[in-house]
Amino acid sequence: MSVANERGERLSELRQKYGREPLPPRAEGTADTPREAQPKFRGLDSGHRACQGCGEALAARLVMESAGPDVMIANATGCLEVFTTPWPQSAWRVPWVHSLFENAAAVASGMEAAMKAKGRNTKVLAFGGDGGTYDIGFQALSGMLERYHNILYVCYDNEAYMNTGIQRSSSTPHSATTTTSPAGKERMGKRHLKKDLLSIIAAHHIPYSASASVAFPADLQRKVRYAMGIDGPTFLVVHSPCPLGWRHASALTIEVARRAVECGLFPLVEVERGAVTNVMPIRNVRPVTDYLELQGRFAHLMKGGDARAEEERAHLQALADYNIGVFGLKGEGEDPVDTGGIAAVGRSGRPAGRV
Amino acid sequence: MAVLTRGAFAEPGTSLDFKTGNWRSTEKPSHYHAKAPCHAACPAGEDQQAWFAKLQEGHPEAAWAELVAANPLPAVTGRVCPHPCETACNRATLDGALAIHNVERWLGDEAIRFGWAYPVSEPAVDAPDVAIVGAGPAGISAAYHCLRQGLRATIYEASPETGGLMRSAIPRTRLPRDVLDAELDRVLALSGITLELRTRLGRDVSLDELQHKHAGVLLAPGCQSGKAWSVDGAVPADLHEGLHLLKDFVDHGALPEAGDVIVHGGGNTSMDVARLMKRSGAASVTLVTASGLPGPGTEPADEINVVPRELEEALEEGIEIIDHATINRLIMKGSRVTGVEIMSLRKLPGQDGRPHRVGFEGTERVVSVDMVIPCIGEEVDAEGFAELVDHGYLRPKDRLGRLNRDRVIALGDARGDRGTVAAAIGDGRLAVSALAAELAGQPDPAPDLRTEMKSAGLNTTYYDHLPRATSPKRAVAERTFDTEIEGDIGRAAAMAEAQRCLSCGNCLACDNCWSFCPDNAVIKTVELALDGSHYLFDLDYCKGCGLCAHECPTGFIQMVPEEAGAEQPA
Repeated sequence: MSVANERGERLSELRQKYGREPLPPRAEGTADTPREAQPKFRGLDSGHRACQGCGEALAARLVMESAGPDVMIANATGCLEVFTTPWPQSAWRVPWVHSLFENAAAVASGMEAAMKAKGRNTKVLAFGGDGGTYDIGFQALSGMLERYHNILYVCYDNEAYMNTGIQRSSSTPHSATTTTSPAGKERMGKRHLKKDLLSIIAAHHIPYSASASVAFPADLQRKVRYAMGIDGPTFLVVHSPCPLGWRHASALTIEVARRAVECGLFPLVEVERGAVTNVMPIRNVRPVTDYLELQGRFAHLMKGGDARAEEERAHLQALADYNIGVFGLKGEGEDPVDTGGIAAVGRSGRPAGRV
Repeated sequence: MAVLTRGAFAEPGTSLDFKTGNWRSTEKPSHYHAKAPCHAACPAGEDQQAWFAKLQEGHPEAAWAELVAANPLPAVTGRVCPHPCETACNRATLDGALAIHNVERWLGDEAIRFGWAYPVSEPAVDAPDVAIVGAGPAGISAAYHCLRQGLRATIYEASPETGGLMRSAIPRTRLPRDVLDAELDRVLALSGITLELRTRLGRDVSLDELQHKHAGVLLAPGCQSGKAWSVDGAVPADLHEGLHLLKDFVDHGALPEAGDVIVHGGGNTSMDVARLMKRSGAASVTLVTASGLPGPGTEPADEINVVPRELEEALEEGIEIIDHATINRLIMKGSRVTGVEIMSLRKLPGQDGRPHRVGFEGTERVVSVDMVIPCIGEEVDAEGFAELVDHGYLRPKDRLGRLNRDRVIALGDARGDRGTVAAAIGDGRLAVSALAAELAGQPDPAPDLRTEMKSAGLNTTYYDHLPRATSPKRAVAERTFDTEIEGDIGRAAAMAEAQRCLSCGNCLACDNCWSFCPDNAVIKTVELALDGSHYLFDLDYCKGCGLCAHECPTGFIQMVPEEAGAEQPA
């Protein structure tokens, strides 16, 4: 007891000498409900109409938490736009504009110019799905990057046109089945490869572009915060599973996203000025079949005794191995920020001694 | 209430008017505190997960207080317990079970060093007084738990010392006497406990007297007499029975001289005796046991019943073990043993379904020895209260230990199926809770029927690799009769080891559910969450996707049918 007392006295002494004034008690009425008292910024609130286990809703929420309140958004047509704003309601708590499918980046560019003209620091975000980014909105995006607008563009990549009924996009991975690339006698799902968008973005020589995954929120939010601090165009692609389109159980959204990273099919990399500056090492590399087996869109690849299926599985494995080789994803020993370390939790959050 | 706006705009956050909770069709998330396997396995009834949680928060004294809610002698059990908690630990499937006994021991030693006080207060002056027969671990635990239940306790001990077998039969190499004394004295110094030494049931005081004088009687006399041992009627003239040999050694430090020794038995006594004989200079010591050695092919029920690290140390010290075997014949020269015939055997289910020992013809071999020490178990020394003893033991009629007399409860080794200090301590707690309920006119305390959290229910992705702490151990050549063999792991290692606890079945406050809910339907609130977690589910918005349950590292979130309450999962 005396030890504790001594320590307490010493502490109050130090506080008097060096300490700050304690914060005033919270004003009455600032938080009426526990929901309002949550210690995080709720830029995207409940009541939105996303499906059960929606990876995109989760990703947008995580991005908004880190991007903070002083932002405004241009949102391309797509799931995110549809499920968050069923008129006359909105799930957003920041200024938010619905653009067309193809021009989120162009609208955001105008918003950014307006903010600059008014002398305001409000950061402009542009949100789009993979359809609105990889395909339809690509030229507007390229223009935005080239004109060097101070905008963070976030692409929520669920690898097909989910909103209109699961049509293939240029982001759909090779051999996934969609309604416009069905697996059958002629083809084993999509014939072409997933577009390497990040390399194209990087070729614009912008300050920062990166890929992230909903399975690793700490990493995703660090990347958002980093991009928010840059005065110039930045780009983030977030792998966001879609239980409906990928045909997996809604509880498995994170599991699927995690396995995509751990098998190497979705590498988490950061590119600055065209050069890869950081990758998230994979602690234990898994075979791609671990990723494929959870999803109905790859079910045709998991049939035993089918030579075509075997070939496609081998092809996807080769693509994953290629990523691992090109980006050097294989971890060397245990690292606190590899796929195993960054997921680690302890009592009350991160493990002791970690930031 | 939705407000229709005139233009194509909407007010911020108005989607909250739309309660997506009615999308759930079959299941909703629920907090369910399953038993951690360490707790389920602990004979003393400790909730290791609960006290490790306090250590993880950095509060050793609070952890100790949580620990002694069940077990008043942690410095003792941290040293002598075979720790079934560690065998059950789910972390064994990851990177090694937690070193629970080392941390328990460290906490126990810290409590002694800093003089931490038990979280009990003196019972009322007119509180019922309970008689406890025997001051071994069961009796001491019972007395302590009487105080926790607001009862007074009077301990009647036949011998002039307290501690029972802990003092008389556990070598100092496993349990230093200053540690034992410190913990026993701390219990016995509590006001509300009276100690009557040199008072033997049946000689100095009768059961009727005790029943008349006290509100209830708890019998914890222990097992004092060795079972009769012979091989086909042959008994060597210089027979040393294991427990007596051990007690003589502990009392006087004397061991019989022998060259080649066979110890017959498969419990901690046999292990202690074998190691003592080896250390005292026997040329060879061989343990013959009907049980098997732990290993992948051995059923848990068939495993030798000793502290795992003791077995390890014994092998280091050069003890040979012949498992699945028995002594078939003694080879005598006159009335002295010169050899034994050993035969392989197995415990196999017989026609009545119960295990029988089956010896195998053709596996006999002869070993020449000059001493055989039987350690085949002990029974109650029934002198003075033979009417209570049935075939060597006090055999209770229910799980709480009640005998066929009003408010007379049996606990500890005397029940015949116990055999560890921890089990005796657990008996003390259960017996007192039963008696206290009976005295208050309440029904028996209900058994804990919660399900146990198995490793398959955890999401181990979220646990980082952390190797198990190693405990310092004296080298074989430096092991003596007086100094402890296993050392203290120290504060830093103990606190680091605590961080390895997976918190099976209980909230870790890791924020996973809060971070991963796509619908913002998890509310973080320490004030309103009454179930020990930090979170509430906002079922107005929860769509029932099950993400939180899948990503919960500890299995604390489970999906339950929509109509069920927050209790047992289906």
